[in-house]
Amino acid sequence: MPLEILLALVIGGIGVVTLLLHVTGRSERADLSDDTAGLAWLRQFPEDDIHQVLISQDGHAALLRTSQGMGLVWAFGADTVARPLADCTLKNTATGLRVSFHEFAAPTTRLILTETERANWRLLMKPA
Amino acid sequence: MTDTLSYPDVTQWAVPFFILAILGEFAWIAIKGRGGRYETRDAVTSLIMGAGSVASGIVLGFLAWGFFKWLWVLTPLDLGTSLAAIIICFVLDDLRYYWVHRFGHRIRWVWASHVNHHSSQHYNLTTALRQTWTGTFSLVMLIRAPLVLIGFHPALVLFVSGINLIYQFWIHTEAIGKMPRWFEAVMNTPSHHRVHHGRNARYLDCNYAGVFIIWDKMFGTFVPEQDSEAVDYGLVHNLGSFNPLRVAFHEWVGIWKDASQSGLTLRQRLAYMVAPPGYSHDGSRDTSQTLKEKHLARHPEDAGTPGFN
Repeated sequence: MPLEILLALVIGGIGVVTLLLHVTGRSERADLSDDTAGLAWLRQFPEDDIHQVLISQDGHAALLRTSQGMGLVWAFGADTVARPLADCTLKNTATGLRVSFHEFAAPTTRLILTETERANWRLLMKPA
Repeated sequence: MTDTLSYPDVTQWAVPFFILAILGEFAWIAIKGRGGRYETRDAVTSLIMGAGSVASGIVLGFLAWGFFKWLWVLTPLDLGTSLAAIIICFVLDDLRYYWVHRFGHRIRWVWASHVNHHSSQHYNLTTALRQTWTGTFSLVMLIRAPLVLIGFHPALVLFVSGINLIYQFWIHTEAIGKMPRWFEAVMNTPSHHRVHHGRNARYLDCNYAGVFIIWDKMFGTFVPEQDSEAVDYGLVHNLGSFNPLRVAFHEWVGIWKDASQSGLTLRQRLAYMVAPPGYSHDGSRDTSQTLKEKHLARHPEDAGTPGFN
């Protein structure tokens, strides 16, 4: 197949699929509840016990106190990702917090938090 | 001996079909309200991985092609291009695919190339296109060598491999439940391949087939889809990035970081490269085997059931 036709097909195809998915609401992020956040953690760390779950006000992130320490579950598109917070770096942003995990496959996530939430979450995530 | 032979690049010619089938599957899911899920960034990442894989083939394909042409000069055998030769080559290439794929899950160096195909938490036709950019570096081309050496022309070998890849496109769907029993018995199907994409302990490291599921049945790696346990798609440790560069290279970076740690023996460094994924010198990580063992410790009632034999 001529390269220019292949390129047009690939670029056009990706463009059409992207537009179609976005306008039909497939860009919505997962909403978390205590139950779904807990299940999302256990999906990744099935041997853990979960002691406490705190859902962010926007519903897209959850802070968990587990048997291995503090952990974070966040919406990753329509799905979730979970990571322990033992080796993370926190940085304030205009809308909340940026959490860096020092991991190539999951470098950072940005949490949308109110001012009060941010102060509280920072304390829980990185106790002095 | 056949010196010049060419077949169409079937994977490139299949691109329009891939796009139409994806649109068709999405329409089916949207209309029926069942049969799978689509998410914008996940699908876009998969499509970009597919495009990158084709580009990688165009840029680096000459390395594998040069290797096969070198083998073709060496071999005194030529099985020709009859229909029988094409069919036999297709079946043997599928056996080759089974072993390459099995190595891809059991040898970290090969897994580093293949892992991106499993990195989506979705399972739809775009997932089929989430292909490697680094296949050349995994050196699995070596496993095609016997096909050329026994007399199949390199162009024929690549042609049947392309058909194999196209076959595997349609099985990446939740829109199809089960095919007729005779078909499920012989062929790789959406049901069998859903299991292969599972991160559930039960479904790890099984159903490596490309076209014929019989290889898994012959070599003891077949696990049927269980009505009692839905497949949970993705990686044991799911990625936290849609960035195609991170998807493509994260396991290579992981190998480098692990193997270059200070204080390791040479054997440990090599093990980080070629031992099964999840190996660690201090036992701090889980392989598929330890994940299954830990699952059985929590759920002893699953012992002896499919995937835990």
